[in-house]
Amino acid sequence: MRSEQEAARAIDLYADMVRRLCLIHLKNQADSEDIFQNVFMKYVLSTAAFENEEHEKAWFIRVTLNACRDLLRSFFRTHTVPLEELVDLPAQAPPDTRWVLEAVLSLPEKYRDVLYLHYFEGYTAPEMGKILHKNTNTVYSLLTRAKNLLREKLGGDGNG
Amino acid sequence: MVDRLQNAFAAVKAEESLKEKTLAAVSRRAGKRRTAPLLWAAACLAVFLGLGGGLFFTPVSAISVDINPSLELSINRFDRVIGVEGYNEYGKKVAQSVSLLFADYSQALDTLLASEGIRDCLERGEALSIFVACDDPKRSGEMLKKVETSAGSGRGVHCQTGNMADSAAAHEAGLSCGKYLAFLELQSLDSSVTPEDVQGLTMREIRQWIAELSGEPVSEQDYETGHGHGKGCRHHHGQDT
Repeated sequence: MRSEQEAARAIDLYADMVRRLCLIHLKNQADSEDIFQNVFMKYVLSTAAFENEEHEKAWFIRVTLNACRDLLRSFFRTHTVPLEELVDLPAQAPPDTRWVLEAVLSLPEKYRDVLYLHYFEGYTAPEMGKILHKNTNTVYSLLTRAKNLLREKLGGDGNG
Repeated sequence: MVDRLQNAFAAVKAEESLKEKTLAAVSRRAGKRRTAPLLWAAACLAVFLGLGGGLFFTPVSAISVDINPSLELSINRFDRVIGVEGYNEYGKKVAQSVSLLFADYSQALDTLLASEGIRDCLERGEALSIFVACDDPKRSGEMLKKVETSAGSGRGVHCQTGNMADSAAAHEAGLSCGKYLAFLELQSLDSSVTPEDVQGLTMREIRQWIAELSGEPVSEQDYETGHGHGKGCRHHHGQDT
């Protein structure tokens, strides 16, 4: 089991990333908070040895995505959570930020991870393939389709 | 579009209150670890005995952990651990020292790998073999991913999948799945080897024995390469029955 200091360091380093991954998969604050806490709890309980910070970061991405998917698939959630939920977007965000995030969230789930990992975290398709356990060519296809769909939704400013 | 996307994602940050709450929960949980699983187990037992214990207590998959302690977790369709069986003396001791019943299997595996008995072996550089037995290939694949994530990239880590028939045959031989598959490999090289011969051995000792018989020495280097991110894991669903 890892120490409290190690947990504090991990929270400092990865909290924002875990929060963003939760946002692009989960639609309410309560679920996001649960998963957020579970991910760091799992880190503290885990004995996984990391070769470097990149390896540790990839572990956090994988564990967060798995936790979000598990929650979305769980029996209780699929049978009890209402379909209409308020999307958990930053309250004070400028209108354009909200609009872009809403556009991302309106895309099918499979496209959101690649958009975030590529455009924000800077991962290449082969790197994303390893993290997401997907074939590199599949990742390229997802990324291209995601880009096109997003461009359509945002009005196609041609910078992508 | 790239700038707008980056700005939008950058606006999402973990709230300080959430970070503080999480750190507090992590610290608190550490203190509660010994009692919480018992309470959770009791609550689950009460609920599921009332709501159809048959379904809940039917194992659909198993995870076998072999290092020196050799033990196996039986998993139900709800991904909960419904049985923990030690397959050697050391495994029985470890099984008694940790509370894994009714825990989510990936959490149980984390707890197991962090337990003193297994941690000591890992620190000594023993080979860790984790075997996922499941008849549903999709479920088996998902389990393997989680198991690989939990096992991490420590040296000598082997993860593999198979079906429940492997598990049944292993139990008949009095071995856990991981050790049973290694035993079959060994037996194919020397038919006089019996399950009793390997029961008390560590996975590293069995691997070394296989290497000696096959004439292909397995060095430390072999154990250290190809692990982590699941690269070195063997997948052989449906084989070795």
